[in-house]
Amino acid sequence: MAANFWTSSQCKQLLEQEEVDVVHPLDKERGITVEDFKLIKLHTANYIWKLAQNVKVRQRVVATAVTYMRRAYTRKSMMELDPRLVGPTCLYLATKAEECTVQARLLVFYIKKLYSDEKYRYEIKDILEMEMKILEALNYYLVVFHPYRPLSQLLPDAGISDISMMHVTWGLINDTYKMDLILIHPPHIIALACIYIASVLKEKDTTAWFEELRVDMNLVKNISMEILDFYDNHKSITEEKIVTALNKLNKG
Amino acid sequence: MAESDGSKKVADRYLKREVLGEGTYGVVFKAIDTKTGQVVAIKKIRLGKQKEGVNFTALREIKLLKELKDPNIIELSDAFPHKGNLHLVFEFMETDLEAVIRDRNIFLSPGDIKSYIQMTLKGLAVCHKKWVLHRDMKPNNLLIGANGQLKLADFGLARIFGSPDRRFTHQVFARWYRAPELLFGTKQYGVGVDVWAAACIFAELLLRRPFLQGSSDIDQLGKIFAAFGTPKPSQWPDMVYLPDYVEYQHVPAPPLRSLFPMTSDDTLDLLSKMFTYDPKVRISAQQALEHRYFTSAPLPTDPSKLPRPAPKKESINSKALDYNLQEGPVVLSPPRKTRRVMPNQERTDGNAYALEKNSDQGNDARMATGGFTNDRIPMSVDFSVLGARPPSRPTINSADKSCLKRKLDLEFLPEEE
Repeated sequence: MAANFWTSSQCKQLLEQEEVDVVHPLDKERGITVEDFKLIKLHTANYIWKLAQNVKVRQRVVATAVTYMRRAYTRKSMMELDPRLVGPTCLYLATKAEECTVQARLLVFYIKKLYSDEKYRYEIKDILEMEMKILEALNYYLVVFHPYRPLSQLLPDAGISDISMMHVTWGLINDTYKMDLILIHPPHIIALACIYIASVLKEKDTTAWFEELRVDMNLVKNISMEILDFYDNHKSITEEKIVTALNKLNKG
Repeated sequence: MAESDGSKKVADRYLKREVLGEGTYGVVFKAIDTKTGQVVAIKKIRLGKQKEGVNFTALREIKLLKELKDPNIIELSDAFPHKGNLHLVFEFMETDLEAVIRDRNIFLSPGDIKSYIQMTLKGLAVCHKKWVLHRDMKPNNLLIGANGQLKLADFGLARIFGSPDRRFTHQVFARWYRAPELLFGTKQYGVGVDVWAAACIFAELLLRRPFLQGSSDIDQLGKIFAAFGTPKPSQWPDMVYLPDYVEYQHVPAPPLRSLFPMTSDDTLDLLSKMFTYDPKVRISAQQALEHRYFTSAPLPTDPSKLPRPAPKKESINSKALDYNLQEGPVVLSPPRKTRRVMPNQERTDGNAYALEKNSDQGNDARMATGGFTNDRIPMSVDFSVLGARPPSRPTINSADKSCLKRKLDLEFLPEEE
């Protein structure tokens, strides 16, 4: 597939943080704050991940699905696109786009297994209907570049070969999908930020290597800080807060 | 628009015209884009009966074409849902290279051939630059627009315009363009397969008939070897390791000149480089474009001056074609189009993105914490403070973290200031 990020649609469509953090007027009407907005997206990303674990797809597919979901909400409101349906649908679409199709009925089966709450209850036809809406919201752009591939090139280049470093970095990248970073930064920069955190954490001296790279180290550092801040804030997130935020979307 | 004049607006924008044909995945019809006044071809993707939503192959084509914007690649200008079906809007193409090659009234000068193969290679080079393998290069997938521009089409979707000649099933037709490594059953192939097919198209432009017309995969290889000689291991060291490799009786290569008696030395040199057996040695589309053939006389003909089949008025389509009269400078579809569309079942096997596959595999969610419940959001890396440390996972306490943050702040300061 399109392996050149710099000529990709994704590269041309990177957003600023301020653009990502805009709550759609329809959602604002329901009292959704920027915090709620982020929380619901985090919750939906986790929902996608849980479903993906059940249907057993690669991490890359999860990442694509989460990216679709985050992109969709930069254009459409949560009132129009219910996150509880958008999650499974984005995963469904991502499995197709990443060439490892999972049947919609399988997703429906696991939705029921994961959530007994009827607000999560959606059937195959709902997913298929939503698929079309998501495609529209994405303006049919389906190719997504992720930090995973640059990571596999950058780590050996940095002379990092021990497994635990690789695992930490990989895990950090997984967690960046709980944030909006993929909409804002080029994937290799996100990968670098994760390598940076991991190398400081594991006390690997990569300073010389970083200095030789022709990248904006300020940016890498800022993203690293943002990721660490996210881990900090994450502790204060409770299921209650998520439910409260989601309930604002309920009709009536 | 009123229904009475036989037209109907789709999605408030496209004025529906006559049906161009029916492909495997849905109907293709001609339409006028009321916003731009241009003629377009709209493909209505039927939703599968298996309740699997948007057709997988259609989705693949959408995905690729959205990334491939180039003068030598068919443009997907719009897509929209309408009455539950997905509609893809393509620029309307007048004819295709196969119609040109087959039309006995057309004389192709060396400059014309150079122009057609140059545009083919340009489109291919763009695909390859983006790691897209076309995998179905053949003259009737090379569409020709009103200005003579040749564009690669059919990226995994049913053909908008099928083959004009019903004698050939699709499998047979595609076989003639299949590279030897594919015929030997390789599972990992690359851009070389498209270059080989482009070479076959090049030869077909020169000969005005398909070059290597094998009647089976075995026969196809026989035809290839008869033309270029049985490859020696020194020519193609990996050959003997290919899954379906069988030894062929040795035949010597006739001089290439004897197969293409009327062509220039530059032409033969480029052809032989594109027809190289070892895919690793075979010239790339980009390298081919830099070959002296394209800069030596005669220069490639300007696309707008290329000979094209004359549209025939008298046909089953004539009534539909009349609509165009009031539309001004619109392109008439050659009547053969309607006949040329046929369902194509052939889909080359799923090796499309062999290059891309496996890249992320194996590294899956190893960091998954597992055992997450609804009240605790799973994290891949546990940064929780002073918590019980799961043995296999790194954790960091708050003292570590503030130190970490300090480090992040302090390092690289010299460069920043």
